[in-house]
Amino acid sequence: MVAEPTRRLALAAAAAGSLTLAGCTGFRALGPVPKLGADVAALERAIAGEELMVARYAVLFGFGVTGKHSAHLVEQALAVVTAIHAEHQAHLAQLRSRLVLPPRLATARPRPSPTPPSLPAGTRNLLAALAAAETAASDRLIGSVPGAPPALAQLLASIAAAEAAHVVLLDRPKAAR
Amino acid sequence: MSARAAKDIVALQAALAAEQAASYGYGIIGSHLDGRRFTAAAADCLAHERARDSLTAMLTARGAQPRPAAAAYRLPIAVRTSEAALSLAVTLERRVAAAYLGLVAVPDRALQRFAAQNMRESAVRAARWSGKTEPFPGLPSSSLR
Repeated sequence: MVAEPTRRLALAAAAAGSLTLAGCTGFRALGPVPKLGADVAALERAIAGEELMVARYAVLFGFGVTGKHSAHLVEQALAVVTAIHAEHQAHLAQLRSRLVLPPRLATARPRPSPTPPSLPAGTRNLLAALAAAETAASDRLIGSVPGAPPALAQLLASIAAAEAAHVVLLDRPKAAR
Repeated sequence: MSARAAKDIVALQAALAAEQAASYGYGIIGSHLDGRRFTAAAADCLAHERARDSLTAMLTARGAQPRPAAAAYRLPIAVRTSEAALSLAVTLERRVAAAYLGLVAVPDRALQRFAAQNMRESAVRAARWSGKTEPFPGLPSSSLR
């Protein structure tokens, strides 16, 4: 049971409505303020969080996974980190596809590319730091689910679940039980 | 009953059915595992039974009749080996995650939170059993763009 993906339409309509009504007969004709607020804020927070996760993993490919560990561990860690990075990119793409702002508003709010906090040296420390970041991201997403419109709530909950599942692999790159 | 309340009930019943099926399935899974894996299966079984009981209580509190569990379920995977038991665990967890999707989308915020947390638990258990993750647990590909 998946809620209709109406976000795009709703946002476009709210934005269009506010523009056309502004030129009309007076204050009362404006009606209630278009609800562009809370939902968009939740979505933008999720996008910013996901951008940071992507950047965090991308940094790793710059200097590689290092430390005094066996080549085997490093190899496994790299495989895990590569797979998770790809999932974060998929999350970001889905989230961005649901944020449709009128062009003027979008260009008026340029977003600086996020600088991730530096990661500790050593494969184990690095995986632990990533796991902590995933847990925090998952908790934040769960917190944004209540009150979100149906389709967005489902996407946020699914991404929150994915981030928590990443922790399983980061904790034990050797995998399954 | 209001339309909103009716929506809550339908979504609660769907989640309950999946938790009942998972509780049943983990009994079979456990019987094919030993050692640490058996202990893990027992813990996961307990988690599903707890969720099932919470959902039952939520339905009762809303004046609805929780749909009873079936006496037996046709399992999606025939389990004769420990390997098959592991794939059944992963399949059941994926079904449970998907079954909470409706509840994540209801107007009741407490139910939304409960559903999101249980979806997350299912995805974590699926990752533990399979050693793999998926980018959008619970979501059908048709809902993605």
